[in-house]
Amino acid sequence: MFDKRFSIAIFGFILSIVAVSSLFAHDIVPGKKQTKAIALTGGTIYTVSDPVIPNGTIVFDKGKIVAVGGSEVRIPAGAEVIDVSGKNVYPGLIITNSTLGLVEIEQARATVDVSEVGDINPDARADVAYNPDSDVPPTIRSNGVTTAQIVPQGGLLSGTSAIINLDGWTVEDAGLVRQAGIHLNWPWMKVIKAWWMPTPEEEQQKNIGKNLKAIEKAFEDSKQYWLAKKGNQTGDFKIDARWEAMVPLWEGKVPLYVDAGEYKQIEAAVALAKKYNLRMILVGGDDAWMLTDLLKANNIPVILKRVHSMADREEDDFDTYLKLPKVLLVAGVKFCLSNTGFFGHWDARNLPFLAGTSVAYGMDKANALRSITLWPAEIIGISDRMGSLEVGKDATIVVSSGDIMDALTNDIVYEFIQGKKVDLDDKHKRLYRKYMEKYKN
Amino acid sequence: MKKLLALVLVLLFNSAYSQTTPPLGLREKTPNVIAITNATIIVSPEIRLEKATLIIRDGLIEAVGKNIPIPKDAEVMDMKGTFIYPGFIEPFSDYGIPKAAEGSRMGFEGDRPHPTIERIGSLHWNAAVHPEKEAVLLFKPDEKAKEKLRGQGFTVVQTASLDGIFRGNSAVVDLGDGLPNDLILNKDVAQFLSFQKGSSNQDYPSSLMGSIALIRQTLYDAQWYQKAQQSYQLNPAQTKPEQNAALAALDNLISGTGQGVFAVGDELSLLRAARIANEFGLNLIYKASGYEYRRLAPIQALNATLIVPLNFPEAPNVATPEAEADVSLGDLKHWDTAPENPGRLEKAKVRFAFTANGLKEGDNFLEKVREAIKRGLSEKKALAALTTVPAEICGVSDKLGTLEKGKMANFIIASDSIFSDKAKIYTVWIKGKSFEINPKPEVEPRGTWEVTLQPVQPSVPPPLAKFTLEISGKLESPEGKVVAEAETVKVSELSVKENKIQFSLEGDSLKMPGTARFSGRIEKDKASGLGTLGDGSNFKWSSIRTKPYEEKPDTAKKEEKVEMALFETVYPDKAFGRKSLPALVPVAIIKNATIWTCGPQGVLKKADMIVRNGKIEKVGQNLAIPKNAFEIDGSGLHVSPGIIDEHSHIAISAGVNEGAEAVTSEVRIGDVVDCDDIDIYRQLSGGVTSSHLLHGSANPIGGQLQLIKLRWGSLPEEMKFAGADPTIKFALGENVKQSNWGDAFRIRYPQTRMGVEEIIRDEFQAAKEYEKEWKKYNSYSKGKQKSTIPPRKDIELDAIDEVLNSRRFIHCHSYVQSEILMLIRLAEEYGFKVGTFTHILEGYKVAGEISKHGAGASSFSDWWAYKFEVYEATPYNGALLYKQKVVTSFNSDDGEMARRLNQEAGKAVKYGEVPEEEALKFATLNPAKQMHVDRWVGSLEPGKDADFVLWSANPLSNYAKCMQTWIDGRKYFDIAEDLKMRQEVKRQKAALVQKVLKKKDKPGGSDKPMPWKGPKNYDCETVYDFMRGE
Repeated sequence: MFDKRFSIAIFGFILSIVAVSSLFAHDIVPGKKQTKAIALTGGTIYTVSDPVIPNGTIVFDKGKIVAVGGSEVRIPAGAEVIDVSGKNVYPGLIITNSTLGLVEIEQARATVDVSEVGDINPDARADVAYNPDSDVPPTIRSNGVTTAQIVPQGGLLSGTSAIINLDGWTVEDAGLVRQAGIHLNWPWMKVIKAWWMPTPEEEQQKNIGKNLKAIEKAFEDSKQYWLAKKGNQTGDFKIDARWEAMVPLWEGKVPLYVDAGEYKQIEAAVALAKKYNLRMILVGGDDAWMLTDLLKANNIPVILKRVHSMADREEDDFDTYLKLPKVLLVAGVKFCLSNTGFFGHWDARNLPFLAGTSVAYGMDKANALRSITLWPAEIIGISDRMGSLEVGKDATIVVSSGDIMDALTNDIVYEFIQGKKVDLDDKHKRLYRKYMEKYKN
Repeated sequence: MKKLLALVLVLLFNSAYSQTTPPLGLREKTPNVIAITNATIIVSPEIRLEKATLIIRDGLIEAVGKNIPIPKDAEVMDMKGTFIYPGFIEPFSDYGIPKAAEGSRMGFEGDRPHPTIERIGSLHWNAAVHPEKEAVLLFKPDEKAKEKLRGQGFTVVQTASLDGIFRGNSAVVDLGDGLPNDLILNKDVAQFLSFQKGSSNQDYPSSLMGSIALIRQTLYDAQWYQKAQQSYQLNPAQTKPEQNAALAALDNLISGTGQGVFAVGDELSLLRAARIANEFGLNLIYKASGYEYRRLAPIQALNATLIVPLNFPEAPNVATPEAEADVSLGDLKHWDTAPENPGRLEKAKVRFAFTANGLKEGDNFLEKVREAIKRGLSEKKALAALTTVPAEICGVSDKLGTLEKGKMANFIIASDSIFSDKAKIYTVWIKGKSFEINPKPEVEPRGTWEVTLQPVQPSVPPPLAKFTLEISGKLESPEGKVVAEAETVKVSELSVKENKIQFSLEGDSLKMPGTARFSGRIEKDKASGLGTLGDGSNFKWSSIRTKPYEEKPDTAKKEEKVEMALFETVYPDKAFGRKSLPALVPVAIIKNATIWTCGPQGVLKKADMIVRNGKIEKVGQNLAIPKNAFEIDGSGLHVSPGIIDEHSHIAISAGVNEGAEAVTSEVRIGDVVDCDDIDIYRQLSGGVTSSHLLHGSANPIGGQLQLIKLRWGSLPEEMKFAGADPTIKFALGENVKQSNWGDAFRIRYPQTRMGVEEIIRDEFQAAKEYEKEWKKYNSYSKGKQKSTIPPRKDIELDAIDEVLNSRRFIHCHSYVQSEILMLIRLAEEYGFKVGTFTHILEGYKVAGEISKHGAGASSFSDWWAYKFEVYEATPYNGALLYKQKVVTSFNSDDGEMARRLNQEAGKAVKYGEVPEEEALKFATLNPAKQMHVDRWVGSLEPGKDADFVLWSANPLSNYAKCMQTWIDGRKYFDIAEDLKMRQEVKRQKAALVQKVLKKKDKPGGSDKPMPWKGPKNYDCETVYDFMRGE
């Protein structure tokens, strides 16, 4: 349940500050570096990796978790102790395939840095454009999402993604992984006959072929580039910015993210990954339920863009996507939930509730929680630091007074990112307080 | 030179038929008196004469019958064994009318907007409205097209421009030779109409509802024009009404003396056109779509004549499982059922004619008719659909359609009963002149012939003196073999033309080395000619037919089993369709549930609810179980009122925005409800029972809205929420000033919020003055009214006038506080209240003002940052509005989210601590109040409609799943039944796919994969030019 006392208590206190500070700046001060150990006591700890610990204690210092457990956990002297009795403690939630910080307002062109000109832009790096002062991330944090993979979109090779924490003065504070993967936006492969498609069918067919050739060429060329660079002895090798960006991919340091939903797209994408022996992560995967064997056999994890989606085909089950997590779980395909696509960057704050809905349609709560914590961490390659509450991992921790996956009870009262205590205020709460003031009488 | 010669010949020829064109050269006076004897004459669908005679004189039928005297001056043609039919009539074509190019599309990525057109002549303001076009002035015979039509048995066609909405008047022309003056049999037969704007480059209309509104207004204008002209004649001392040739051309149609032919794209649009006909008392014939079987009952009830195409679809591509996945059950069922459409129309006693329009290149019209006959159509009705019915449609029953005395000598001579597969049309006759289609064999070559060979020069005897030639096979393509001395050799290249026969054979085994060639003449049962052997020796041959040919019954054909459609038609005829509506449960009781009444009883735990005859009877604890009650165990379940979505764009056909103009209050969503949209079923799966179908937000004043109950399986009219107050869409801000439409869209007024206010004000003022004008006119005496030009009925202003008089209520797309205040104050100035502000993300800033004004607010729960005007949005909006006592709801604007409006309502608890039951009202009672239907729905109170939902958990929770959805005491969704229906969909699909795979030609279906139709998901901002193309 929403903690009324909490919210009411802070209103009066913060209102006075807002009245003054709004003249100067609207941004929230990023969390300060952790200076002493902090212990959260009495809460129900959802470790994710291990069983749930009722009435547990978690201690973190210097930004890392140093102890998790029950009454046996010793709280270091001088530690700040926060009583979270009756509340739930979770690892920070992770949103993948997002454009947070790259977009402020979707339909205000000056505020959008998402798609570069042309189709082949592997060198377009999301971290370069990330705006840590965006008003959007604080609203995302407010619901428990601490970390985002930010991804250029559009074209064919859209760019290079980064993984950032949603708190920091600059991208250099916030960045967790600056070059997290190469993103390929698989072109549509079917002829469309719909009210919104003015292109004639033959021309569509031609364009499909053109796009596939362009992908093939980019991979051939960049591979040739990598081999030539590796074998170059003269020292006068010339740098091609596009193919240089793909060297980490060929070296196996980063995976290939392929945004593909429809059956043929997925089939073709997997074929490409196999042909070049690349580590592939499927983004989207609408038709993944028809291809679980292929995905499992090739060890390809899936980022489900948005399970709150209408089934594509008229006679598909109405809950095709609502139950897709369960279907993939049963089939043994690794996956995580995202919340991107049709709705915008701002909708990342609803990530936990998609996990909640997936429970209504078959998932168990423990795995639903994994699908927004540990599994995305594993898929995007940060599970050594994030995704569960284990000793040695980053102290990126969220405390909710109720079940985090249900909008009815999700109520984040504390949040730590790498041990830094995050200010949970955001633009929306400020506006709420401001207008409560208007209606006081 | 050749061309010139041809031209001269044509001119010479034509002069024979012309009456006013001066002849160049000699006059043509060939007599035309012919007696066709010994044929089977099908005089009409009802009368068939065997061994009868048809006498033609000067292009007309002089007599028809058995044993009638043959005039002495007649040329006699013995047509033994042939069948003569009245010439077919094509009632729907644009034969000989110049075709127009497709116009440009308006769209985000299209070119600049085209609000107006260059005006030439006193024509209509909209380029898609050209009823003044006259086929009689445009018609130019087209030799190629003519030949093609005759090849299918047509002798006469009705033709008109098939371009645009009001397309023009048709003419009926015959397919003979001559000048247009001679060929035209009838003019101004029908005004052709459609919903498609065709070659018009004008943006309006860009939606189906826009087309309908344009038709409606044009008809009113035509009525006004008639009256205005009359009044002006009586009393010229008033402002002269405009001259308008287009409106004048509609006189016949609107006064009911003329008829219209309305072409539609599907069965629902047929019903839409019929509603217009009914509204204006038009006499309409419908050019149907081939989908009529899907909604037979309401089409039957129209009691109208249809023109039915035979456009049976190709089997969809199911060659691979993934290709099959993109083929819907609806596609497969249509493939399986379409050939039965004519037969089912016959059974439903619908009158119809056939058209070849809509057939693909290469399709054979007669084959399609035969297919329809195999699939249940009677031959009589088929013939009527080709002759008598189209003759009536074309207004030429007095001269065409049957082979009766005095009628035009238009007929078909065929080898067989025309509906049998082997029938061939030999000739088509038009006005007594014959056109050859397939040459009729002059002689019967088949049978057993004894051939004798004789030397040309007596000294060299042929190596073989005698052989037997057996000719069999089809008359048009006979086959032969030679038998001699126990050897049989197949002959090659056997051909019979007129009475000439030729063939060759490999003669080695018959002692005739090399290839022997024969040619000769057949004279009844005798034949003779010359032959040449491989060694070059010549000889004569003669022959006598010793045995006539006996046709063997075609056993292979008879065994061909006709497979009728595998599955019965359901409503809608696709996945999850129903045979009939779910049964009305007379009495039901839900026991032991948590009941969220959203009424004065609050939330009741372990409670019961009794539902009787579609209404809620009682809610309470420990209720006695009524007699014969259907019991539902509600233990562990929650019951809520049905979810109501104030802002939905599901179930709308062809366009949610009429975005081409800034003010389009004339368009009505109610005209374009798509009762077949699968999203209706999917809304039910999320507990939604009523959806308010909104026009989009592309213009300051959009269209009239429609509240429906999601009675899946019903017709559009049956879904409409009876008794609900009419509503209308207004929109403010970025969308209507086209801020995000691209640089091409900067010419439409308004482009600022200032202009938005002004254009709305201007419209209010105009409506006020309009009402005054009418009041004044209505106060006149009958006599004065007659001599006074009446005000023009304007359906755009009618709707606004209703708003000003609080008979229609505004649902206004709006975001920022300034525009909200603007509309409130403007409404107050004109003396009415705004109904509900929808989206309203900055409503919290002026919640007090909204509350005081008395408008409702329907917000997104938590959307923001998608455009500048929502950058100050907050998810606390709902709570702030609620706390200021504004009737607040959450809406979806999205077919998917609508299924989770219960969860969205839960967010009002999270953001701003709205009490749970009050939050649930955001998706139940409050939207019901906003639509003024809370008398019937929105809460679970005695006397209200039994619209309710069973949930697995607290309905506000993300963990809640909808288990059952009831409307009017009928269970429209049940999670367990849904599972069964899925199985049924799979079973039917599998069976139909097997049927495709077993087809003899193209097993696996079409070569091309089924094009992807994509999910149909409109939102407010969907602007697209729908009325182009097919």
